[in-house]
Amino acid sequence: MHKAAAMLKVEVFSSPGCGKCVQARDVLREVVESLGTDKVSWREVNILEEMDYAVDLGIMASPSIAIDGKLEFTSLPRASTLRAALLRRLE
Amino acid sequence: MYAIGKLAQYVGVSTDTVRYYEKEGLLAPTGKTEAGYRLYDEDAVRRLRFIRQAQQCGFSLGEIGELLALKRSDEACCKDVRSVAIGKKLQLEHKIRALQLMSHALGELIATCNDEARPLDACPILAALESSVAKHAQGGRDA
Repeated sequence: MHKAAAMLKVEVFSSPGCGKCVQARDVLREVVESLGTDKVSWREVNILEEMDYAVDLGIMASPSIAIDGKLEFTSLPRASTLRAALLRRLE
Repeated sequence: MYAIGKLAQYVGVSTDTVRYYEKEGLLAPTGKTEAGYRLYDEDAVRRLRFIRQAQQCGFSLGEIGELLALKRSDEACCKDVRSVAIGKKLQLEHKIRALQLMSHALGELIATCNDEARPLDACPILAALESSVAKHAQGGRDA
């Protein structure tokens, strides 16, 4: 019996009202969705509501991205950079 | 208009503090008297209060300079200031977490010392700190 591969978890930490985040975030969400919603999950985290969790992950700036509970990007990356980081983990 | 002493007294800081803020480029006199003494207007009072309030929120003088620049900028908006404030709050939360860990570590050390009458060379707190230093040095050599 095949063991189902663990789903990658992408979490984007930002605050509501961050205008510069909205458009860039939408592009990144499309990257994640294009890899398959059965393979990668996407969660938008309101940093003000989950400050303790953000501090747990070592987040010092907004916006930031964590993959599988580890801080990966301290600003929003290019779509190609995020895609490459996810593909490396999916291999 | 206020002379430097009056301004400092009005806002509750020392004249040295006012001069230091000037040196750091955060504040400037509006003009000078004929005798060359600095003079400040109401805007300087507001600015000085802003600096003090921002310092109380944990902002460094460099960061306060950025906030003041944002305040003056035509292109900046409330969101930019909010973003700086969120970054500062994150920094503070990290510091709080680090202080809690330090407090916890001290609590454990204090708990090991249950006899205040012991001689200093049998002090478990000092012994634990020394052993921690030795472990650190050993770890450094092993790395």
